[in-house]
Amino acid sequence: MTNAAIAIDTGDLPFGGGMLALVRPALDLLEPGGVLAVLTRQSHAIDELGTWCKVERHELLEATADQGGATRILLRKGSFGAPRGAIEDNLDLKPHGGRIEAADMLAAVPFAPSADPGTGFAPRGARVEPGGPVYPCTINDLAHAAPPDVAQLYDQAVSAQWNADTDIEWARIKPLPRPLQRALGQVFTFLAENELSALYVPSRFIARLHPHYVETAQFLATQMADEARHIDVFLKRARVGGGGVGISHATTSASLHSLLTLEDFTEAAFLLSVLGEGTFLDLLRYIEMHAPDEVTADIVRRARADETRHVHFGMSHVKHALSHDHTMYARLEAAVRKRSATLAGAGGVPYAVQDSLTILAAGGTDPAAVAKGHSAFRELMEVMHENRVKRLLNAGFSPAQAQTLSDLHTPNFM
Amino acid sequence: MADETILLGAVAYDAKVVPIWEGIREHFRGQHVPMDFCLFSNYERQVESLLAGHIDIAWNTPLAHVRVKRRTQGKSLSLGMRDSDRDFKARIVVRKDAGIKSLPDLHGKTLAVGSRDSTQARILPLHFLRAQGVDLSSVKLLPFDTDVGKHGDTGTSELDVLKALHEGRAQAGAVGDLIWVLEQAAGRVDTGKLQVLWTTPGFDHCMFDALPGANAAKLEAFKRGLFAMKWENPAHRRILELEGLKEWLPPREEGYASLTAALDEQGGW
Repeated sequence: MTNAAIAIDTGDLPFGGGMLALVRPALDLLEPGGVLAVLTRQSHAIDELGTWCKVERHELLEATADQGGATRILLRKGSFGAPRGAIEDNLDLKPHGGRIEAADMLAAVPFAPSADPGTGFAPRGARVEPGGPVYPCTINDLAHAAPPDVAQLYDQAVSAQWNADTDIEWARIKPLPRPLQRALGQVFTFLAENELSALYVPSRFIARLHPHYVETAQFLATQMADEARHIDVFLKRARVGGGGVGISHATTSASLHSLLTLEDFTEAAFLLSVLGEGTFLDLLRYIEMHAPDEVTADIVRRARADETRHVHFGMSHVKHALSHDHTMYARLEAAVRKRSATLAGAGGVPYAVQDSLTILAAGGTDPAAVAKGHSAFRELMEVMHENRVKRLLNAGFSPAQAQTLSDLHTPNFM
Repeated sequence: MADETILLGAVAYDAKVVPIWEGIREHFRGQHVPMDFCLFSNYERQVESLLAGHIDIAWNTPLAHVRVKRRTQGKSLSLGMRDSDRDFKARIVVRKDAGIKSLPDLHGKTLAVGSRDSTQARILPLHFLRAQGVDLSSVKLLPFDTDVGKHGDTGTSELDVLKALHEGRAQAGAVGDLIWVLEQAAGRVDTGKLQVLWTTPGFDHCMFDALPGANAAKLEAFKRGLFAMKWENPAHRRILELEGLKEWLPPREEGYASLTAALDEQGGW
């Protein structure tokens, strides 16, 4: 909406006592060059408005006596400091089922193909006064910043939040035999350590993401809130019922360190969410299946529902980037190879993780049961590989590429 | 430093003075006019340096400008001014509860004024009030001599005047039009308490001054460079906005007649 001319009546408001509160918003609705007619009954205000126009680079065209002692002043709006962009007006977001979702907002105010770092934290759609600083965001284009379903994923994430203090039936947990309790403590130590990386890695990209694509930052914020809750609930589970946390392995540390040092948002989404968290889904399903009690199963089931959303976002992000930028295939493959080279010689699955997953599946230390546990663990490795290949094929990699990339994936799962 | 470099003096009344003159120097470099600047802490030192030939050009307040004119027997050269330097005014602002309806009502009242070297908040308002028949000997002056040497550039003494008016320490006060309007636009004036009683006639503000014997080629080069700055050019505009103008204009002397008369009358030379 643009206006060529507007008329306002400022009554007997003094220049600095309310007149400007009517004049400035009216000028804001005009394009530079547009004319504002101001009716006033304040004699000094005419002169003061004239000085103000000089400072603000508007032009006072004329002041003429109107009937009844009022003065009619005509101003021509200048271009000095005029906010850039179209005036947003008459938006009327409609609730459906009592809700207004982020997806409704995105539909009303869609993403631009690219964003200007000079607009800073201006909300998408706002007109921006010139002269603000250039922000240090580096993810400034739609292809790398926001997949099409990001707002829906954010909406889903908001509705799916749960409470680690009150939603888990902590009082129902009973002490376990010591070896099983130690194994469970080790498993949750490993899960918490991996979730710490999943909390920290997205945080590095929020500050680089242009605020125009805020829905992605909002989704990442829910992802981080999810991870914070998982860390909380996993460590609580490790410490309820007479156990404690276990070992943090150097292999795990090296693997997670290689995620933390990634500089490219899409590469990080691919390695963390598609390959890492994707593999994690199989691990969480395994723990749920072999959980020693219903509360533990409930904890990992809830975590898996959250992680499924993260994988979905990661897949959507990567597919969106790949569809706009075909060089991404080679870049993502190179990222996997580079990470694999960094981790060369790190060995297989860290021993304490392997053993505790075996004991967990065995339900104890009875040798016959441990043999079954061992088979279950070996089967888990197979399932993880098969599902990684499926996800890579879904992302658009060739069967050969998918096979190779899955093989190169970290032995640390995440 | 090569001889053809124009050395300009300006007073550092605010931190923004540095980016302004660095920007203008950059612009002059693009025009192939070598120019440099030096900053003074007060206009008196700048005027003496100009008269001693240490600098080629001084960016002067009206008070410094008329002093240079007087000291050179009217022969100093005026080079240019801002569009915003023309037709400045001062306002006599009063408290609404002081019962001051006209200028004679100022008799017996306290009038807050700015620094003794502020053209807009002291020298000219007093001159014009006297010309209007106000007997200044029966008005109690409440002076705010802050930032003396800066000739009112900082506006601090005018803010002091407005504060005294708001707090009731004075019933009337003199401020420049610009501060009065900008303080109102920022919502810092209580218009329930204060109102304008009277506005002075117009007068002119800053001027680039040079000595009569200055190197003519340098002065021509300076004017050429200065008037080449255009509002439409974004690089120029940034500097012009900082310095508070839209266009550099040729000099005119008639806007300083009232100040010259005021200094004669007040012994302000």
